[in-house]
Amino acid sequence: MELEKFTYDNKLAKYFIYATITWGIIALLVGLTAAFELIFPSLNGGIPWFTFSRIRPVHTNGAIFAFVGNAIFTAVYYSTPRLLKTPMFSKTLGAIHFWGWQLIIVAAVFTLPLGYTQSKEYAELIWPIDIAVVVVWVIFGINFFGTILNRRIKHIYVSIWFYIATWVTVAVLYIVNNLQLPTSFLHSYPIYAGIQDALVQWWYGHNAVAFFLTTPFLGLMYYFIPKAANRPIYSYKLSIIHFWALIFIYIWAGPHHLLYSSLPDWVQALGIVFSIMLLAPSWGGMLNGLLTLRGAWDKVREDPTLKMFVVGVTAYGMATFEGPLLSLKTVNALSHFTDWTIAHVHIGTLGWNGMLTFGMIYWLTPRLFNTKLYSKALANTHFWLATLGMLFFSIPLYFAGFTQSLMWKQFTQEGYLAYPNFLETVTQIMPMYYLRAFGGSLYYTGVILFAVNIWKTVRVGKFVRYEEFSAPALEKVPVIEEKIAWGWHRKLEGNVAKFTIFALIAVLIGGLVEIVPMYLVKSNVETISAVKPYTPLELEGRDIYVREGCYLCHSQMIRPFRSEVERYGEYSKAGESVYDHPFQFGSKRTGPDLAREGVSSLPNYKPDSWHYNHMLDPQKMNAESIMPPYPWIINNNLDVSHTASKINVMIKLGVPYPKDYASKAVKDLNTQAHKIGENLRSAGIKVDDNKEIIALIAYLQRLGTDIYKDRELNNND
Amino acid sequence: MTTENKNIRNHQDGYEIDTLTNDRLIKGHDYDGIRELDNDLPSWWKWLFYLSIVFAIIYSVRLFVFKSPDLIQADEYNNEMADFKKNKSKINANQAASFEVKLLTGDASLTKGQDTWTKICAACHLADGGGLVGPNMTDNYWINGNTVQDLYNVVTNGVIQKGMLSYKDQLSNEKRLQVVSYILVKLHGTTPANPKAPQGKKYE
Repeated sequence: MELEKFTYDNKLAKYFIYATITWGIIALLVGLTAAFELIFPSLNGGIPWFTFSRIRPVHTNGAIFAFVGNAIFTAVYYSTPRLLKTPMFSKTLGAIHFWGWQLIIVAAVFTLPLGYTQSKEYAELIWPIDIAVVVVWVIFGINFFGTILNRRIKHIYVSIWFYIATWVTVAVLYIVNNLQLPTSFLHSYPIYAGIQDALVQWWYGHNAVAFFLTTPFLGLMYYFIPKAANRPIYSYKLSIIHFWALIFIYIWAGPHHLLYSSLPDWVQALGIVFSIMLLAPSWGGMLNGLLTLRGAWDKVREDPTLKMFVVGVTAYGMATFEGPLLSLKTVNALSHFTDWTIAHVHIGTLGWNGMLTFGMIYWLTPRLFNTKLYSKALANTHFWLATLGMLFFSIPLYFAGFTQSLMWKQFTQEGYLAYPNFLETVTQIMPMYYLRAFGGSLYYTGVILFAVNIWKTVRVGKFVRYEEFSAPALEKVPVIEEKIAWGWHRKLEGNVAKFTIFALIAVLIGGLVEIVPMYLVKSNVETISAVKPYTPLELEGRDIYVREGCYLCHSQMIRPFRSEVERYGEYSKAGESVYDHPFQFGSKRTGPDLAREGVSSLPNYKPDSWHYNHMLDPQKMNAESIMPPYPWIINNNLDVSHTASKINVMIKLGVPYPKDYASKAVKDLNTQAHKIGENLRSAGIKVDDNKEIIALIAYLQRLGTDIYKDRELNNND
Repeated sequence: MTTENKNIRNHQDGYEIDTLTNDRLIKGHDYDGIRELDNDLPSWWKWLFYLSIVFAIIYSVRLFVFKSPDLIQADEYNNEMADFKKNKSKINANQAASFEVKLLTGDASLTKGQDTWTKICAACHLADGGGLVGPNMTDNYWINGNTVQDLYNVVTNGVIQKGMLSYKDQLSNEKRLQVVSYILVKLHGTTPANPKAPQGKKYE
């Protein structure tokens, strides 16, 4: 049999390892900073780009796309050639992929703190960067699928299945969720509004977890666990079943992020039942990972890589048990909007993604540098710091979430809210925030040890750039296949085009069934005639609200519970947000809900002058408040140079402004600003009409008022 | 870089066995040295999957066919509110029977009043009562009168045009009276750090 010689080039795997570690150190440090800012709100020092609400997206995007993203590419660029017995398709495309991805991250690191954001969680990047992401992703795809076409192995291995599903689905999710119309080079409005925007966003957000944090890591697991343990995969059949079940079911589960929102019951129900059905497929992955270690448990005790893998896969099992649990309405009524969610996602990222990444790099680096790991003891210390850090991070937050939620719902015997002041429920859980920051610090210390260990290993060793290999060409490979059950699937593994199309169909079904009827069937979003478009000043104020990331701590979605209606007013209706491009429902209440902030007959209402003083110095109004000060909103002049183009884009998106309203918008804006300015001045505040705070106040005082109009006094009278 | 497989032996029927677990390896499944076993799905896993599907079916039928009120959001809310209203009329009757607006001077009541002041009122009137968004509570100037009943009315009904909220749905009449008493007994006449300029009419 004639053998063909070829070489694996390890350069990109090495680069991606360096990028993973570098961005890991940065993204986690930003997270830690955010944790401390929640304890010391004035830590931002009045600096906009250093404020919690500006850096939180840097942390989330950084952890997901920079840290985990580069870890994924490390795994793909190392394992794909070896699993397919061929070098990567193109070195040039690989280099463009690597540098393109790092440039995108750099762009994100600069734009997000400066307030250039779309405000959709984990999809905050502005449209020019979105385009770059799609281009780089396509380049990655060409390189990846090109490699598959050149393969010298007939059937593709389960890791490759997961990589394929990842590539296809992320492409679909990213493009659909980021459809937007630019108003300028740095700003745009999404084509969707309100509840429809929310549904698309959480279809994306949930499946970013599924197809960026989960499926590629299952691919990684299926390669590195058997390699590191030198054990066969426990069950090929389980691989097949859990792969298809996972990708088909996952995509439906997005609506569980919107339980008890104004999303119609039927969509919520689909989100719930598919989340429950997701448990077994997820655990299939965990089982296949852990059971592969049968016969190697003695090594697990010794080997830091395997230890990390075991804790990582176990964390995956915990997180995927908790996910379905949180999708039950009764549990979700308690957990949603609280720190419970934060604890949940960190079990996934710190545990599953973090531990697998560390384990992979501990295993890979000595092999790439033809040496031993610099210090096993250091790696073991890292393992314990990471494990303890994770527990100190999450357990206090579970407790915090539970406590706060119960306090929100508590009534006195007379039928009043037991804690009418939201702040009381925050003050109560502050000790838990301290513990979380402590847990985060432990975890972070571990990451630093990890970086040092890898750095030292690299210094000692000598990089093995090329590895020679030989194998027969694909058409000459003799097929030694014994007949087993599931032969039809074996055929599919040999036909990658068909496999990819099937995977695409599997992931498209759920999204189509949920999203399309939301557009076509009118009854899903009822029309409320009192709901009108925002005035130009309110629109500008809303864009400031988006820029500052207010949605990261304040929801705008009152759930239909007596405790919320008492606290915040009438529960939110789908028809109220039809002009909200983008929606601002939020997913966490670190501060109170603002959906009806402007309704003066409700308990949450505050006069204009209160908002002015509060933005300047929140602690002056509430000594224990953990809201950071926003003095620059007071000082900045409002930029109205894009107001007309914003109105025009809104008109294109179907918001019913009069036809040539753009030309009159600034005049109306000034009139309304003058009125609010007068109101503030009459309260003894020295302020000019052209400040950003005026626009923000206009927006806040508009919030939730439309359906209350005939019920209350106009608060400006 | 083929992995060394010393844990494999040939079975007499021609297939390969993993010696550490005695499980059957699938022939031809070899990826960079990674082999796969021909194990079946664990049966408890299969049952978990089946049960979750049964749950999904039952849930869907209850919602889509029988329209169970505990699964329909609007019904759930209406039931919760109806339950509450039934009880509320009883509570209100009790409250009305034994309540009189009269200045409280007991330490316990004043401490409770202070608690409410710090948690709720201080956001606009500041903790020391000096006023910021809302008026100064320490001086002799009052916009809406200076008797217990006057203040009680303001706290109860609010002065919406001025930004003062109504607290009748947030604080029980007991609590409203406590906080009003706290203002009149404790706060009034003290010297705050940055008093707001007088507003309203002077009362001696």
